Amino acid sequence: MRRVVLEARADWQAQVERLGFAFHTIDGATYWDERTAYAFTLDEIERDIEAPTEAIEQLCFAFIEKAIDDDAVLTRLAIPEAQWAFIRESWQRGERNLYGRLDLAYDGRGPAKLLEYNADTPTALFESSVVQWDWLEQAMANGRLPAGCDQFNSLHERLIAAFAGLRTPSPYRLHLACVQESAEDRGTVDYLLDCAKQAGLDARFTFIEEIGLLTDGRFCDGSNVPIEALFKLYPWEWLFRERYASALAGSRCQFIEPPWKALLSNKGLLACLWEMEPGHPNLLPAFFEGDPRCESLSPRRVRKPLYSREGANITLLERGKVLDSDDGPYGAEGFILQDAATNLFQSDGNYAVIGSWLVASQACGLCIREDATPITKNTSRFLPHYIEP
Amino acid sequence: MKRSTQIGLAAAGVVLFATVWSFSGEDDEDSLVYNSLAECRAGGQLSASQCEQRFNEATANHLRDARKFSSTSACETEYGAGSCQSATWNGAQVVIPALAGIMLARSLAQGGGAAQPLLPPTRDACPPGSPAQECQQARSSSSSSGGGSRGGSYSRAYSTSSGQALVARSGGSSRGVSTTSVASRGGFGSTSHSFSSSSSS
Repeated sequence: MRRVVLEARADWQAQVERLGFAFHTIDGATYWDERTAYAFTLDEIERDIEAPTEAIEQLCFAFIEKAIDDDAVLTRLAIPEAQWAFIRESWQRGERNLYGRLDLAYDGRGPAKLLEYNADTPTALFESSVVQWDWLEQAMANGRLPAGCDQFNSLHERLIAAFAGLRTPSPYRLHLACVQESAEDRGTVDYLLDCAKQAGLDARFTFIEEIGLLTDGRFCDGSNVPIEALFKLYPWEWLFRERYASALAGSRCQFIEPPWKALLSNKGLLACLWEMEPGHPNLLPAFFEGDPRCESLSPRRVRKPLYSREGANITLLERGKVLDSDDGPYGAEGFILQDAATNLFQSDGNYAVIGSWLVASQACGLCIREDATPITKNTSRFLPHYIEP
Repeated sequence: MKRSTQIGLAAAGVVLFATVWSFSGEDDEDSLVYNSLAECRAGGQLSASQCEQRFNEATANHLRDARKFSSTSACETEYGAGSCQSATWNGAQVVIPALAGIMLARSLAQGGGAAQPLLPPTRDACPPGSPAQECQQARSSSSSSGGGSRGGSYSRAYSTSSGQALVARSGGSSRGVSTTSVASRGGFGSTSHSFSSSSSS
């Protein structure tokens, strides 16, 4: 694993915009950053990223099997009791999942360590799937990189295949929803909508806020069309606490991601996995705050709220002293403490976090986000990667 | 190989921000559906030249995307009497549904974004003689008339190039035609608004 300084394409903005990539620059700062790229060997990808990613996914499934009927665990994860039956049924019915992203600490040496699992509403998808793919094609075409490079990225074709197989009979009608006023979320959903259409689905967009409830208990879109299957780029913990929460179970809607993902998109998962498999090479020691075993953690540790997105409310502590933190609205449901990773890739004052993508539970892509601090925030830069020939 | 063999410009050339926008919420005050160039100009949201540009753009897209018929009667069977026009496409005489209006994206700040052509409602959505107000409005409005009134009860049916039904109600919000009644709306999304932070990660 190497950090390689390359020259950005002179017209890189135009090149990524032609793909429909609208948020390459966020609040005036570069988000898509091709001045630098990460190079991997095929071994590093297959042995250190791909295999552990699928192993962790299997571990997560084993955890759900155990936790789904365990009231104590569901309580610990701050999942509202009113939704337990709804979640259990989605697991027992075997509702399929579409995608997720593991965030891993990895520096090219030793096993990757799980920082967290964005199991429910991951973004950075379009840039991972399409923009960095196109970047590599061009880099090889114009000689910036040698021909014969590759990339860990079959996201696009896997997404299309996964959409077709999420529900039977297929093709089916699928609604895709996100909140208003978020260009990034809209970009992600528009991309998934395009994939769904390529999978032959009757795919329709609707805003989360437009969703209505029909007199027969089903949800409907802004045009009053009943929603049978819904991809929602909106977290379960919020859906569970809003006005329509009580209508979820009776809606006869297939949700993507399925409700059982609520058990994984929760930082409590990190403590639960460690409890289940202490010493697992791809896990960092972690406990719920207040657990006396927290004393066994390294003095350099990270405090994470059960629910948090894009680094919000995460604090890096060294012997009780705050080294880095990101403000935010989360934390009411409790916290976990996790050993700070000692294998974050670090170079020239930059920290890199590996995002390892799963589509239909198969590892199939990678993205890198870099920040000047060890906590990856929503201001982190996205860097492309390649596999050396 | 560890990467997709092709991305296919269907995805890479994603019509990302030119696809149909749905309107709802606070911005509904803005008239985002215009039946004619004159109405667009009178609306005052866009400059006269922006209106012209949007209508030209929509007209061009309409000619490209609209279903082509070989006769007026075939077209009228689908879209209703008086709703079709002849056009030249790739050097051939064809009949297409007349442009009934345009729909603009929400981002008026950028001049309205891409304009989507609106077609007369299809027979499925508005069968001949339908008493629905939106159908009557659609039937009585000649496609070229300008300055349509936007009173409190205005609603008019359209269809999209892909054949989906749309109803523009006063205030310009667009809603499709449906038969099931809606008990309520807007039960999701409040957390996002109270946090004013991203809902994704």
